[in-house]
Amino acid sequence: MTPKNILKYAYYPGCSLHASAGEYDLSTRELFKKLNIGLTEVPDWFCCGATPAHNVDELLSLSLCAKNLELAEQVDGDLAVACAACFSRLKTTQHVLGESDVKRKQVEKAIDAPVPLNGNVKHLLDILARDLGLERLEQAVTKPLAGLKVACYYGCLLTRPNDVPNLDCVEAPTIMEDVLKAVGAETVAWSHRLECCGANFTLSRPGVVVQLSHAILDSAKSAGADCIMVACPLCHGNLDIRQKEIEGVYSTQYAMPVFYITQLVGLAAGLGADKLGLDALIVNPMPLLKQKQLL
Amino acid sequence: MSRIGVFICHCGENISRTVDVERVAAQVGTLPGVAFSTDYKYMCSDPGQGLLKKAIQEQRLSHVVVAACSPRMHEKTFRKAVESAGLNPFLCEMANIREHCSWVHEDRDEATAKAIEIVGMMVERVKKNRVLPTITVPVTKRSLVIGGGIAGIQAALDIADAGHEVVLVEREPSIGGHMAQLSETFPTLDCSQCIMTPKMVDVANHPRIKLYTYAEIEHVEGYIGNFQVTVRKKARSVDEDKCTGCGVCMTKCPVKKIPNKFDQNLGMRPAIYVPFPQAVPNTPVIDRENCTKFKTGKCGVCQKVCGPGAVDYEQEDQLIVEPVGAIVVATGFDLYSIEEKPKGSAIKGYGEFGHGKIPDVIDGMTFERLASASGPTGGKILRPSDGREPKQIVFIQCVGSRAREKGISYCSKICCMYTAKHTMLYHHKVHDGQAYVFFMDARTPGKSYDEFWRRSIEEEEAVYIRGMVSRLYQKGNKIVVMGSDIAVGVQVEIEADMVVLATAVQPQKGADTLAQKLGISYDKYHFYSEAHAKLRPVECATAGIYLAGACQGPKDIPDTVSQASAAAAKVMTLFAKDKLEREPIVARVREAGCVGCFYCQKVCPYGAVEEKEIRDRQGNLVKVVAYVNPGVCGGCGTCQATCPSKSVELDGYTDEQIVAMIESL
Repeated sequence: MTPKNILKYAYYPGCSLHASAGEYDLSTRELFKKLNIGLTEVPDWFCCGATPAHNVDELLSLSLCAKNLELAEQVDGDLAVACAACFSRLKTTQHVLGESDVKRKQVEKAIDAPVPLNGNVKHLLDILARDLGLERLEQAVTKPLAGLKVACYYGCLLTRPNDVPNLDCVEAPTIMEDVLKAVGAETVAWSHRLECCGANFTLSRPGVVVQLSHAILDSAKSAGADCIMVACPLCHGNLDIRQKEIEGVYSTQYAMPVFYITQLVGLAAGLGADKLGLDALIVNPMPLLKQKQLL
Repeated sequence: MSRIGVFICHCGENISRTVDVERVAAQVGTLPGVAFSTDYKYMCSDPGQGLLKKAIQEQRLSHVVVAACSPRMHEKTFRKAVESAGLNPFLCEMANIREHCSWVHEDRDEATAKAIEIVGMMVERVKKNRVLPTITVPVTKRSLVIGGGIAGIQAALDIADAGHEVVLVEREPSIGGHMAQLSETFPTLDCSQCIMTPKMVDVANHPRIKLYTYAEIEHVEGYIGNFQVTVRKKARSVDEDKCTGCGVCMTKCPVKKIPNKFDQNLGMRPAIYVPFPQAVPNTPVIDRENCTKFKTGKCGVCQKVCGPGAVDYEQEDQLIVEPVGAIVVATGFDLYSIEEKPKGSAIKGYGEFGHGKIPDVIDGMTFERLASASGPTGGKILRPSDGREPKQIVFIQCVGSRAREKGISYCSKICCMYTAKHTMLYHHKVHDGQAYVFFMDARTPGKSYDEFWRRSIEEEEAVYIRGMVSRLYQKGNKIVVMGSDIAVGVQVEIEADMVVLATAVQPQKGADTLAQKLGISYDKYHFYSEAHAKLRPVECATAGIYLAGACQGPKDIPDTVSQASAAAAKVMTLFAKDKLEREPIVARVREAGCVGCFYCQKVCPYGAVEEKEIRDRQGNLVKVVAYVNPGVCGGCGTCQATCPSKSVELDGYTDEQIVAMIESL
């Protein structure tokens, strides 16, 4: 590999990946190691403010992200982000501060440092599909996910807000499908790719989440999907952890495993269940993976 | 020595409120070359002009400066007054002390001082004005009309009825345009065909209209009164003179399943076809892309069955040059297709509405064809997917329009009314059906328009939901439409059988290319630009070219017809004189200095710069220089600013004059 092909990133896992979404963190690190992509965790990073902070105080939410962006400057390479909310907030902060000198000055005063606005913030999907590229991704596949029908679920934040230069087309993104096709899986066309799962209402108003996430599971199932793939810890929580509850409320049975993108791509790259944290999933994926002869 | 007269206007109080006009008059009166200076309350009024004329004669004035409003407002007025007093009108200039001074300043002393300087500058400039003769150009009293929709038809008929020849060029095999596709028309619900087809016949039968269908504009040369237009008459493969329109060829053609564009691809047509039965001319065209004879060389059925022997596979495109004096552009509109994102377009698409993916999501024009008695379903409202009658139908307005984030910020103007009409047509045809309309707000300014819209709600039972649709998706046999009702503040979900999108009105594809051929300007959406939004709405900035219909902006039928008649009236005004007078403020090339680099030609927005050969007495070519055709020059001065050798100057704006103005300060 020529030096310019060596990919290196600063890595911002975000809070969830150090907690409830540990398997997303694990599978990300393992997959990137396998693909020879360097990941160096940003030293001393902290919460991006996620969805609550900007509802309370704009300056606070911008400053949290700005400080993290500043910390990330210490590590070589673009900033790799796994969580959809972290990604959206960091991108939004760059965009807002780039547009408004007044806000940028306020934030710089708050964090007592200049804000780097030109650093690239990249979601893992972007790195896999564009930096590494679909061709090289295809070459890394040792066990194609043949016969696995996947419903790619983008949720709200991967492609939004609309005016922030973002991952893919707001209304008709294809990046998840592109990546999955490259690793040999089959993707289904379904209606609820971009719907909201209920997000952090999961704590305050679980009834809302049950209703919204049910619609997503229902749509994926009727489109013939074997499983759902996500790139956001909160979506994962709502679709996976609450799936039993949803089945109870609606008297139905989905048994629909919900994977992280890195788990499915990792599987295709030949990583074992232990390196992908598959045992951390609530809906047991093993029967499906065995049936498809992927494990 | 010049004897300049300066006339300072109070403009009621508009100027005198801030500028001490008496002081200006007194001060300017002392300038060298000024023989007379005075002020008056309304200089443009009859007594004001009288004062000016009297002063010219009594004081033997050589030049005049009127210090008043903008020259845009009254330059013509005062030049006419000066002319009637016996002076050349171009020896009169205006100093703008209203827009440029009194209206924008508050301090009286400073404003007065500025006004004195403005007038002083114009005094210096007018000293160097030349006597300019009026330019006259001959007029070819024939008109070209581009586009055979209702706009082009109306303009062509009006001009031809006034006694002038018209060349009407239509791109499609038949005239009629979009109006021929419509079912019934608002606000009276009369059938479009019934009011349209007689006009189409009138065009075909008019002795002074020369009709080219299946033809396009290839090339345009010349200028007002004297255009040379090259028309490409595409090969029809059918001899128009021999064909009787019997239609046997169409019934015998073995290729039957080509989607008919006229029916929004719902119906099928053969490879040799007329777009619709009422087509004018009723002469078929062979669609060479789909014809077996052209694809494989075998078949030839249409030629065998044609009695008069009109089918001609060897026919080629013809280029015909038509001399005309005026051009009416009436190329119309198209609906924004959200099925696919046009390449290089600023429009970002509406993926969430499923158009092109879900078969029962259609656009407004497709609904027109479904509702039309001559349409592919014979006027029955049926779903394209399975031919069932939709019992719940959802109309979504402002799809594409008024959505800045999607790339179109304008209102398409016709959709509120045609959607109201669609709900009525639906209600008349499907009695047990229910129509829902998602709308932002209803825009119904027009005679009897609001009454019509109210009727759709109050009598025809359409349910209007104020709010936009966030998205829709197919669920089994139904289309789930998710939206919000902002009047009540709730989310709405409707399981519809069919969805009709009121997609944005856009100019025809290729509108920009045609504009470049014609040398007219267009906006960022490719709508053609009028010379003045309010006062010259049917003229282009390019002299001799006029606009009619939706090519200039979204328009309904009444507005289109009005504008078409207005454009025709402008053409008749032009043709009323045998010679055309043009303002002589044009650029002139100093041939001795010109090196023939032709930068001026590249920047000229009017195409006025020509090449001129300079030869010595023996006829040997000395050099090629630029020549500005005074009949075409618009007097903008771009060439003057561009010329590296300072060899082209605009009369009245020469470098010498500009420097004199600056030096007077």
